[in-house]
Parts: sequence; structure tokens; C-alpha cells
Amino acid sequence: MFLELRQVGFSYPQKTSPAVIGINLSLKKSGITAIVGPNGSGKSTLTKLMLGILPASEGQIYLEGRNITEYSLAEAGRRIGYVSQNPDLQLFCASVAEEIAFGLVNQGCDVATLEERVNFYLDYFELAAYRKSFPLHLSQGEKQRLAIAAVLANEPEYLILDEPTNGLDAYRKRLLEEYLHKVAELGRGILLVSHDIAFVDRMAERIIALANGQIQSDSNQRGEGYLCY
Amino acid sequence: MESCNEAVVVQALTYQYHASGPFILRDIGFRIDRGEVVVITGLSGCGKSTLCLCISGLIHHHRNGVISGKIILNGKDTRGMRGPALALEVGMVFQDPDTQLFSPAVEDEIAFAPENLCLPPEQIQERVNNVIDTLGLAALRHANPYYLSGGEKHLVALAAVLALDPPVLILDEVLSQLDSLGKKRVIATLEILRDKGKTIIAVEHNLEALAFADRFMVLEAGKLIRFDRTEKILADQDFLMTRRLV
Repeated sequence: MFLELRQVGFSYPQKTSPAVIGINLSLKKSGITAIVGPNGSGKSTLTKLMLGILPASEGQIYLEGRNITEYSLAEAGRRIGYVSQNPDLQLFCASVAEEIAFGLVNQGCDVATLEERVNFYLDYFELAAYRKSFPLHLSQGEKQRLAIAAVLANEPEYLILDEPTNGLDAYRKRLLEEYLHKVAELGRGILLVSHDIAFVDRMAERIIALANGQIQSDSNQRGEGYLCY
Repeated sequence: MESCNEAVVVQALTYQYHASGPFILRDIGFRIDRGEVVVITGLSGCGKSTLCLCISGLIHHHRNGVISGKIILNGKDTRGMRGPALALEVGMVFQDPDTQLFSPAVEDEIAFAPENLCLPPEQIQERVNNVIDTLGLAALRHANPYYLSGGEKHLVALAAVLALDPPVLILDEVLSQLDSLGKKRVIATLEILRDKGKTIIAVEHNLEALAFADRFMVLEAGKLIRFDRTEKILADQDFLMTRRLV
């Protein structure tokens, strides 16, 4: 199992009720899984626990058999690519091209591969015109595409995308869907968090519904159980 | 002289974030009547949010870009209006709610604008209670907005603007992070506001989400390419396909 959560709970400071509670969950290294649920049900918190960004208050989380607490954030980040709900929080380079290249440079990628991948992602996500632009000057939809491109360029073993369709128009949403299907076909796993039920329905083969920080259903059946969210 | 029924008049609006940069908006012109609901749509990066910032007056007073043209809100030219006067005419919910939430508790956030309008305490309390009830935020009343989920933050940002009770309301993709209950509540609230004569301008990618709107405005590369009745735009599949909007 790639990720395993055992009786995981977490509470934010100053909050009386826990954000997630008693989560038992196993995720394989392949396939597309979606987490759905009402606002405030603990979806984003759960993904941050999986990455070790937040420390679990209760229970244990294992990434490839090792406790997540034994990984540095960089080690976990090399295995799991993460796009947060708000792209502003993860864009920090001086230009769009540098943002896409950042992870590759830090992995010691050779120059030819680096250029090839940066150009590919700039073209695929239609960001080539903004190659030299400052990322935080882009529109919200462009920032979202850039954050996704920067993570995909690293080709991590597993992807966690929190509300990836936010700010995307219908056409860019289709491009993202096609690309994620290709990633999944290569045997890499994807975990989506989304309120976009049509997107979830087209993408996910397993759907986990959360409510009040607990798993309400975990199903391979599309269009059932989670539509109320 | 503008018609007294016009809530928003935009004339020959052109904007660049920097003098040497690209034109984000090019020669935009339109009129929106009081009580109208208008959806602005278009591919990401086409200028929707910038147009909203212009209408709200924020571009005029808080950005250093190059702007030309005229924006008139309820008969008043925004170039001559400062923050408090603008706040009485227009309220905007930003695409990223983190940029507009700063209070330590949800109820403080909602009370902030009415307090700054120097309304009597009982009236402030009434407005706070009303929007909390309308948007179903009672359970979050004392919560710190910083720790809320993305969708909850959007609802709080909307509540804070509704408490201002402006005649023109601008919403930049507020539905995108909401669950189905949140979406239903917001849509129902917008319909009530429309019935009360408020003018609503909403940016949205999901064309069906606000199908009750009176008109749709389509932007492309900074230009207004179509402004038409909702039913006409939604029925024109050729246009929507060609412009990659569906």
C-alpha cells in the first residue's frame, strides 16, 4: 500500500471539535481516487496530514510502509506532488518558467531534459506567452494552471490535487482531465479533492465521502452516495 | 447625462497593469440597469477579474496601472470617489477570499464594514445576524476565519460584503469552492437580492450555475465580444464551442 492511515485524528488550535477523526484509509500507488464532502468536512486537512504538512493528533500515517513522521517534508514531497487549494501559497519564483523548472533543478535534472520539460508544460498548459511573467501577476486560472504544471513537471509517483478545477474554464478543465488520465495510465496514482462533481464523476474510479471529519462512504460506484455534496 | 435606471455604465475602458505591459482590457463599453443580474465569462486570463476591480473602483485608487475611459456607478463617476463613498455604492467578493479576511472571528469580519459606516450598534447586530442566518454560518460565528475551509472562507467574505448592503454587488467566482448546499444558499440569496433591486455582477465559468441571470457578458483577450440575453447565449452552442466556453 502506498499510503495508509490508521485511526488518524487532527484538531486545529482554538477549535472545539476535531477536523478529522478516526480515519482508516489505504491508498494504492495507482488509480484515481477522489475525496468529496461538504465545506469544512476535513478534506483539505486530510491531504495535509497525508503529506506530513500537519502532524496527526492521533493515529499513524504510513507512506510506503514508513511512518510519515520519519520523512522530511522534502522526502515526502519527492514522492507526492501536491497542489494546494490556493495556488498563491505555492508560487514563489520570479518567472513562470523558473516556477516550472524549480523542482527539476533541485532534483539535479540535466539542462536538455530541463528545457524540454519546461517547454512541454508551458505549451501544454498554454502558459508559453507568460514564460517570463511574474507568477503572482497572473490571473487566478493561470496561477492554478501554473501550480499544477510545476508539480506535474517533477513527475512524482503520486499526486494530490486540492480543488484543481478552481478558476479553470471549461476548455482548460478538459486539457487537465486528458493529462491526468495519461498520468494515471502510466501507473501513477492521483488523489483529487473536489466539489466539482461532474469532474469527479468523469475522473475517479474510487470516491471517498467525508462529513464532519469522518469517512461516510468509500465506493467504486460513480454517481451514488456522494452527489449530495 | 446617464439614465437614472443605470447602475453601471462603462465607457471606452482600457487598462494595462504597467505602461509597457499588454492591454488587459481594450475599449470596453456597456450599461447595466439597476436590478439586473449579469454574468461575466470567458477563458481564464481574458480580463474578467480586472474588469471587476475596475468597476469596484479598486483599480482607480489602489493600482498604479494605466487606465483610460469612464466608469459610472449609480450616476457617479468612480474617479472622483474615495473608499467610503465607493463602499456605499459597490461591494466585491474577491476570487481569493484570503485577500479580504482579516478579523479574528467570523462575526467581527461581518461587522467590520457596518462599524466603519458608523451605523448604530443595534443595526450592525441586526445586519450581522441576518447574513449569518441567510448564509447558514451560525456554527462558524465565533470561529477564526483563518482556520476555515476554502468554501467557508468564501461564504464569510460574501457575508461581510452583504452586511454592507451595497446597491451593486460584484462576485468573482464565489461558487467555485462551495459545496452543493452552499451553492444553493448563495444562489437563493442572489435571487432575493435581485428581487430587492440590487444589481449583481458575477464572474463564473460554469455557464449553467447562474442561468437565472438576465444577461451574459463574454470577454476574450480583454475585449467584450458579446453581451446578450442569457437564453440567447446559452442556446448558441456554436458560439460557445467556437469560443471554447463549453
